[in-house]
Amino acid sequence: MAHRRTSGSKLFMTVLCMVAACNAVPITELLDRASQRSDKLHSLSTTLTQELDSHFPPIGWMIMPRPSMCHTSSLQTPNDKEQALQVSESDLLSLARSLLKSWVDPLLVLSTSVNTLPHPAQSSISNKIQELQENSKSLGDGLDILSGKMGPAAQTVSLLPYSGGNDIGQDRISKLTNFHFLLSCFRRDSHKIDSFLKVLRCRAAKLQPEMC
Amino acid sequence: MRQDETLSANVWLKCPAKERKNHSLRKRGHSMTVCARMRRDLGLALLSLMSVAVECNGMSPPGKPVLLGCRSPEKETFTCWWEPGSDGGLLTTHRLYYEKENVEGIHECPDYRSAGRNSCFFDKSRTSIWVEYNLMVVASNALGNATSEPLSIDVMEIVKPNTPENVTLLVEERENSPCLSVRWEPPRNTDTKSGWVTIKYELRVKQQNSDEWKEYASGTQAYFSLYNVNPGVVYMIQVRCRLDHGSWSDWTNSTHAKIPNYLQNEKLVWILVSILSAISFITAMCILVMKRKHVQQCLLPRVPVPKIRGVDVQLLKSGRAEDVVSALIFNQNFPSMGPCVEPIEEYLIVSDNYDVPPSSQKRKKSLINRAGIHTDLEIQSTSGQCNGVMAKESNDERDNFEKSNKSLSEDTISNMEPDQLPTQKPQCSNINLINTGTMHPPNHNSVAERIVYPLANSSYVDIQRHENIQEVDMDYNKVKEVNGDNIFIAVKENMEAEEKNIPKDYSRVTEVESDNAVILHIQNISADSSDSCSKEKRNHNTDWTDQKPRNPHVTRPSTGGVCIQLTGSGYVETIPVPPLM
Repeated sequence: MAHRRTSGSKLFMTVLCMVAACNAVPITELLDRASQRSDKLHSLSTTLTQELDSHFPPIGWMIMPRPSMCHTSSLQTPNDKEQALQVSESDLLSLARSLLKSWVDPLLVLSTSVNTLPHPAQSSISNKIQELQENSKSLGDGLDILSGKMGPAAQTVSLLPYSGGNDIGQDRISKLTNFHFLLSCFRRDSHKIDSFLKVLRCRAAKLQPEMC
Repeated sequence: MRQDETLSANVWLKCPAKERKNHSLRKRGHSMTVCARMRRDLGLALLSLMSVAVECNGMSPPGKPVLLGCRSPEKETFTCWWEPGSDGGLLTTHRLYYEKENVEGIHECPDYRSAGRNSCFFDKSRTSIWVEYNLMVVASNALGNATSEPLSIDVMEIVKPNTPENVTLLVEERENSPCLSVRWEPPRNTDTKSGWVTIKYELRVKQQNSDEWKEYASGTQAYFSLYNVNPGVVYMIQVRCRLDHGSWSDWTNSTHAKIPNYLQNEKLVWILVSILSAISFITAMCILVMKRKHVQQCLLPRVPVPKIRGVDVQLLKSGRAEDVVSALIFNQNFPSMGPCVEPIEEYLIVSDNYDVPPSSQKRKKSLINRAGIHTDLEIQSTSGQCNGVMAKESNDERDNFEKSNKSLSEDTISNMEPDQLPTQKPQCSNINLINTGTMHPPNHNSVAERIVYPLANSSYVDIQRHENIQEVDMDYNKVKEVNGDNIFIAVKENMEAEEKNIPKDYSRVTEVESDNAVILHIQNISADSSDSCSKEKRNHNTDWTDQKPRNPHVTRPSTGGVCIQLTGSGYVETIPVPPLM
């Protein structure tokens, strides 16, 4: 599964590169592929959080850190439909790329710490974490290519460093809590990325209403 | 009334305030002093009284409301519902307060009415996504407030769309397999134009009588085709949808569709078709039977039988022999041979008192015609040539012969001055006369190659001298030409010296004086070949060659250089040769 993901991402990468070199694939096609990837990413993160919640002790709700404490919360993003529709395409793409890039390190932390996660569905979670990583990587590469086609404004990436360190906690509760917190942050950000890309896709494919 | 009771209670007791009234009796421990015991008893009595009084009134602070949840149908607005606790018998108001992430302050719900009772509706301007809301409901009445447990939501987590709308079913008939086509519309109020939401659909199918639903995913398409439907069954279909990866909507109400029973329709169709075809077949057969003769003529025309004209088949069938024969040969037109004068050789005997030449031919007596020449008209049969030739070429050649006879006789009569001999018509003659020119004698020396025409008949001129005719002697002259039918004009020709026995004494007939006089011209003739005649002639003229030693004066008669096969031995004896024999 992971191997297929790697090869899939590589294939996606090569296709995108060839496309960029030949300049044959239109942007709408690229956006369609990217939004499909982001959709997959968000779907994965959603199922992960649901899977994690099924066994999460409800006591830990109170001490859960707030989502405002996500490392990406400083990024100014549109928060409703009107705002999102007013943002330019380049900015939307830049936001998506920034968010995605900011999760490279945290996902790495997650993948290393999932092995010791005290959770009954740990293997399944571990598998999904791997998928998350691969998808995120390939999407990032695709977005880089897209940004090259969309102008200099799309090239700017905001840096959102992850300051959580490599450790998500020592005891069971803190591990689970931190894991859950990170995944919820990721779920939010993946939803943002997915929404932005789909708005972009619909905007780019004006003659194809089925894209919206 | 409450105040009265309170007053009374204050008057009556110096025990805790009414707020603790409900709890006080229960919380009292067992530690008793005399005063406490008395107080307790009194308290109990009072409380019982008061509780009776209170229950009649129902006043209390409101119960704690419970936030049930929130829902955003289109990712643009959301609504929260709570359940109020007991109202304490008093008018209880509920207020919803919320906190937004990154926004300072506590805000109150903007709309309590749009979504019904105990709900709060956040419109588009108040709704933010990817922002955490902290909600709480406070129920308050005159006696107090009650605050619900806080609820923390993110709009992205509470997205649950409305149900799809206008589910329409269409039964499509395709060959033998019907198909059920399902169509629906996106849920109400959902934005499908900007890409803000991505709707995915799902539908489920159930047969009317069973309890099992079969689910199918339709993706983002608002239509679906069901192929495994059985005719005659009623199907129930429901559709639902979801936005992005949020919650599924409710199922739509069931839509029914019945697949028509094609088998019956097909059976009817086939029955009709078979009946019609049977009827047409029967009518066709009737027509054929009634007009069978006509049909037979069309399909099996009569083969033309070979028919002999004049032959009556019926007559043949009746089988009488003579009739058969007459029938068969009735119309046969044999070319009429005419009286074939085969057996008789016609010849003209011109005699000059000589004996009748030899015996190879039969001679009959001559007839005296008007020319004065004894003519012996008899036809002697040759070796059958007459018949054969005659049969084929009789008419034409006879005509030619007649014509040529006439022409020639006209030409040469003037030369010859002979009287025209009556032309006897040898019916078997095949003589083609060649007019070789005038009758001038001087060309005797020329050896003429003449074409051989077989003289079928043995017409010849037998010139007999009135003088001694020796039967044995044979002096022959070549006949140069034949005038008429039976006049031979002898020609003297140079004979090549092939034959030794060429007679030296022979003469040429220069002219015929009278009926029985021939003027001969005497010449010395070297050895002339007699080969101008064909070998056939030799064969025929074996008599002649045989006779040669006996009679050196042998000339063979020829007509115009043509070696005529004369079986006869026409000859002219010119010189009264002493009998060599």
